[in-house]
Amino acid sequence: MLKRLIPVILLTAALWGQAADPAAAPATPPPAPVAITDADLKGIEAPKPELRAKGDPDGALTGTVSDVAVSDAKKGLTIGDLANQVGQNKIAINFVWTLIAGFLVMFMQAGFAVVETGLCRAKNANHTMMMNFMVYAVGMLAFWMIGFALQMGGVGAVGNLGGSPVLNSEFTVSLFGKTFGLFGQNGYFLMHNGTYDVTVMVIFLFQMVFMDTALTIVTGSAAERWKFAAFLVSSFVLGAFIYPVFANWAWGGGWLANLGANFGLGHGYADFAGSGVVHSVGGLTALALAIIVGPRIGKFDRNGRPHAMPGHDIVLVLTGCFILAFGWFGFNPGSTLGASGSGNLRIGSVAVNTMLAGMGGAFTSMFYMWLRYGKPDSSMSGNGLLAGLVAITAPCGFVNPVGSVIIGLIAGVLVCVSVEFVERVMKIDDPVGAISVHGVNGMFGVIAVGLFADGKSNYGGSWNGVPGAVTGLFYGDASQLVAQLIGVSTLLGVVFTVAFAANVLIDVLVGQRVAAKAELQGLDLPEVGALGYPEFELKS
Amino acid sequence: MTVAIGLVITFLGFLLSLFSLSLTTSVGTRMAMVLAGIALSLIGIVGVVNRAYLKNAIWKR
Repeated sequence: MLKRLIPVILLTAALWGQAADPAAAPATPPPAPVAITDADLKGIEAPKPELRAKGDPDGALTGTVSDVAVSDAKKGLTIGDLANQVGQNKIAINFVWTLIAGFLVMFMQAGFAVVETGLCRAKNANHTMMMNFMVYAVGMLAFWMIGFALQMGGVGAVGNLGGSPVLNSEFTVSLFGKTFGLFGQNGYFLMHNGTYDVTVMVIFLFQMVFMDTALTIVTGSAAERWKFAAFLVSSFVLGAFIYPVFANWAWGGGWLANLGANFGLGHGYADFAGSGVVHSVGGLTALALAIIVGPRIGKFDRNGRPHAMPGHDIVLVLTGCFILAFGWFGFNPGSTLGASGSGNLRIGSVAVNTMLAGMGGAFTSMFYMWLRYGKPDSSMSGNGLLAGLVAITAPCGFVNPVGSVIIGLIAGVLVCVSVEFVERVMKIDDPVGAISVHGVNGMFGVIAVGLFADGKSNYGGSWNGVPGAVTGLFYGDASQLVAQLIGVSTLLGVVFTVAFAANVLIDVLVGQRVAAKAELQGLDLPEVGALGYPEFELKS
Repeated sequence: MTVAIGLVITFLGFLLSLFSLSLTTSVGTRMAMVLAGIALSLIGIVGVVNRAYLKNAIWKR
């Protein structure tokens, strides 16, 4: 036995030695750069037409020098033409990457719709689906008219997407001797001040679907008793004002992003894909709504003890979770806003971190419920997957795979504990667990950046204008954690407060909750005029 | 009225975090202030705003 192991041990030791001591092998000097001139390009010939006429089954003749645009036919191909083509290719790759990622995120709306509908009772199926469907249109309208300008109107040139300078107006105030960016001022209706621009369109599409994700989180916590008209007004306010202003502070060049440059706090508030910006904003607004509308009739007895109100279709729920996990590959890796240049090849790490954290969350939530209640709970396993994904959304660009798994494992337990706390201690009725999945785990994800960021990412040499890589407490920078905690404090102290006040006002003006009779009947007929399942007889 | 007080407490938590930026440059002190600010906001939300709504909860009627 030992004899068999000896070669394995020797081979392992040899490999270990190679890995541990790279200096042992003589380094080959890189080839010296060779200057090229226009004359060097003259000899490059396009495939002959007679060859092309035979077709190109192996692809060797397609995509050659003949496809490079020549600015002056008399001069022929020049170095300048070549450089322009390379630049355009880089931006084209980044445009396509960002757009396709945005399309994936848009499809997450379908995931949210079926998860929420499956977790609600059949008598509210049409109403819940309709809210998730119309939030897409309402949110987009609000964002196109107002929200995008507030969020991104002062972001400046986005290098990955061509560096268009038109989003250049940020409203600022001076505080503590520093400039605090509060909201952008360019881009209303995508026409204002030169923002009818190819780069702006890509940024808009990507940011719009993110904003809509935040909005659709809220429909879950207030489901089965939210008046449809109030939902429309509330969603418009969130998409036009509340979400964009916080997103400006984090992503649009606002004051949170500049905590590093202005106050020496790490690299400023770092939220790679939006654990805080998207999920906590949605989750905390969901908390505000759930408090205001109150629990569903029958959720708590007269002693305040909660009763389970199971959803009507677990198949929909878990299918929706898969759709969301798929869409998350747009959400997180797409947040590089490019695949070419500026360290964007980390998209592979970002995608792997995303899937690993989801795995961790699904596992620990399943085992938590199994140990605590004797059976693995399907809907909580799904929520555990989502919790892991939410928690990794901020750190996905800054952490390594081991950090991602740890974040996911913690998130899976955190979501279960939080669901119990929200229901049993706060006595809040959240039919889908939106507050715990998105609000609580979103804030945990923000904090996780300040703990687990390993200092290895390098997106063009700096982040938020601070040179170097984002590094968390466990890798030596405690100040990054402070920046992240200030972000969490802002979410709780400002976003929750403003969302709560706005929705109290809507409650006064429109009324947030449906009548008890409609709630008992089910909201499909009273609120949207048609049953979700007209051919089935539903038990009350 | 209690809800308004709760919202004020929640917002004061944020202000405490914000003022940590100007009152000190020590990372440790800033972190302590921000954590205190977060705790204050949580008290405002969980202990005051939510509790005020629970007084008239639908299941108590």
